This record gives sequence, structure tokens and C-alpha cells, in this order.
Amino acid sequence: MGRPLDDGELVTRAQQGDVAAYEELVRMHQATAFRTAYLLAGSTADAEEAAHDAFLKAFHALRRFRRGTPFRPWLLAIVANEARNRRRSAGRRHALALRAAAEIRPGDAAPSPEAAVLSRERQDLVLAAVNRLSEEHRLVVACRYFLDLSEAETASVLGIRTGTVKSRLSRALEHLREEVPGA
Amino acid sequence: MTELESELRNLASAIDFPEPPDIASNIQVGGPGPRQAAWGRRIALAVAIGGIAIGAGFAVPQARSAILRIFGVGAVKIEFVDRLPETQPVTRLRLGAPIDPADAPFLLLQSRLLGDPDGVFRRGDVISLLYGTPERVRLLVTEIADSDFTPEVGKKLASMGTHVEFVPIRGSVGPGVWIEGRPHAVRLPGGPARLATNTLIWTHGPITLRLEGAESLQEAVAIAESLG
Repeated sequence: MGRPLDDGELVTRAQQGDVAAYEELVRMHQATAFRTAYLLAGSTADAEEAAHDAFLKAFHALRRFRRGTPFRPWLLAIVANEARNRRRSAGRRHALALRAAAEIRPGDAAPSPEAAVLSRERQDLVLAAVNRLSEEHRLVVACRYFLDLSEAETASVLGIRTGTVKSRLSRALEHLREEVPGA
Repeated sequence: MTELESELRNLASAIDFPEPPDIASNIQVGGPGPRQAAWGRRIALAVAIGGIAIGAGFAVPQARSAILRIFGVGAVKIEFVDRLPETQPVTRLRLGAPIDPADAPFLLLQSRLLGDPDGVFRRGDVISLLYGTPERVRLLVTEIADSDFTPEVGKKLASMGTHVEFVPIRGSVGPGVWIEGRPHAVRLPGGPARLATNTLIWTHGPITLRLEGAESLQEAVAIAESLG
């Protein structure tokens, strides 16, 4: 079995008309694309549509994609644009508040009941503080820590420079330290 | 990384993100195969969805109808339908008003292989380069000054028994679509549906082109690649 192709190789093949290569790119990035769209659009249905249409637009725009540059920031910029358009069309002024899942997900290590309660309380506390941040600070925190995007990807998604990502993140963390005891 | 940053990273797995949809499966049919065969299967899927959409009065969710767009070529949308729309026998092609090529609303692409057309016609933003006469068409090149898909611009309706294949074309934005076999119906803006024979559809920069009447795929591709 050969090694899996990386983004660059798949993009090159897709640009030559290899649809299977593009499908592989979609498969590799669909979860991140959807979550990014969810964060910005504020609804599951809009996020699904935004991610879906972004992949279609990216496919059509592949010829304009510069080979040798990273694919994911480019894709996520298209996703973010689609998501923002949907949010605007829907008249939603605020991005959604993040929530912790109600139950422990399968595969999570099972803590003791006391630890679970404490851990859950702490999670809720941190998340509540994140949700109280201004939208620009909340989004930069969510992109970097919840979606695990790089600074460059975060910059693409938010349409700002990487230097601005750094400064916003720094200020957001300062606010969180003030809000969350022991942070 | 500070403790707060670690805490935020750990929190990621607890965030209640909805389950991501399987977008890849929506645009995937069958397993891996030769490139052209894979494109062929895809168009069959897209046109099948188109058929359902027609049957259901276009009551399809937005996300599903978007699937059609990826299989549109430039300004042309391709659908498979259970039944072709009614078409009248055509004894003379109605292509719009004859114009001087210099009066076209955009710079026309011309074929080095075909030379000057026998007539140039305009209907809205659709320009037809006719080789032969409206009564006896040898070849017809249609140019549409928009490669962004809009369902109203043009529509090809293909019936079962029509072979649809994606083909690479040098200079085209993405692959072109070759339609041959049983006649299919074509409807351009402002005109009735009519039956059409072998057709190649592709894009060249911002222009969508269709070539009707080539005898073979090889000939069609050679003509397509000669346009500039």
C-alpha cells in the first residue's frame, strides 16, 4: 500500500481533473470546514450549506490556487466567506455561544464521579468566560484552541493578519485569566 | 503553552459541535476508477438528482440542489430526465438576429481550424457561430459570456441512452463535457427546446462554449482546442 497523498499532491491531481483526488481532499477537511462554518454561521443548517458550497466553489476555483501554498487556509477562507454570507442573510447579529456537550463522549476516559463533576464545573466556568468575550476575541480563541487551526489558518478564516491573530489572542487570554479563578 | 491554553485545548473535545455532515459522500459515486469513467459516473448522479428535482417540482433542499452546480459546465446545466420536453421538428435553426462579429457584446473566440463562420447570430448574451446555413447546419459554436453557473442561462436535458463523458480540454477551466448517442434536448434562453446531436461543452476563461455537430469526440476536442 502506498503512502497517503498529502494536500499538495491531491491538489495537483485535482487541478488536472482527478475527481477522486478532490473527494479525498473533501474527506480530509470536511470536519474542520463544517466546524469553522458552524462557528461563524451560528446554525447547523447554514454551516452544512456553507461548507458544502465552499467545497464546490473551491473546486471551481482550483485553477486559481497557487501550487506550493497550503491548501487548508485557502479552503477555510472560502468556507468562512460562505458562512458569513449565510449569517448575514439570516440576519443573525451574534455568533453562537459555545456549549459543552451534555454527556461524556464515547472514548473519553471515565473519571471518578467527583472528578467528573469538578471537571464539568470547571469546563462550564471556562466556557462561560469564553462566551463572555467580545466576538472577535471569542472567535480567535475558538479557532486556535477549539478548532486547532494554525495562526495562518485563523487569519484566513477571520480575514485578518497573523499579527492581529497574535495580539487578539493575547488580549483574549488576558481577559480569561481575569475571569477564571486559577487560570 | 500556559495552563490556561492547555485547559482551552482540552476543552475542545467537550464543545458541543454538531456532527459534521459527510460532504464527500454527497459528491462521490462508486470507488476509484479511471479519471474519465469517474467523471462519467458523477454526471449520471447529478443528472439523476436533477430528474428527481423536476419530478418533485424543484422541492429539493438547497444543499442537494447545490450538487448540480458542480456538474454544470460554465453557464450550462445538465440534467437527466425521465422524459424529454416536447420539441418541434426544426427545419431552420432560430439563432437570433444576425450580427457583425465586431458588434458582439464580448470578444468572440474563433477557431483556427474552422476559419470564419458563415453567419454570426445573437440572442441576448448568447452568440452563435454558424458553419453552413440555418437550414443545413454543418457545425454550430455557441458562446455564452459567463462561465458562472446560473440555472436560467442554459439547460441541457439528456435522456437515458445518451452517453455523457467528461473530457480534458487544453485551455479549458476544468474538464469539458461530451454528450453523444441518442439525441438530447437543448434549451437556450428565450428559445424553445430542440433536439441536438453530439455536443461538447467547455469553458474558456469567462466564456462557456458548446460545439454541436462534430462527428467524433476527437474532432470536437481538436476544434475546441483551436479556439482562442
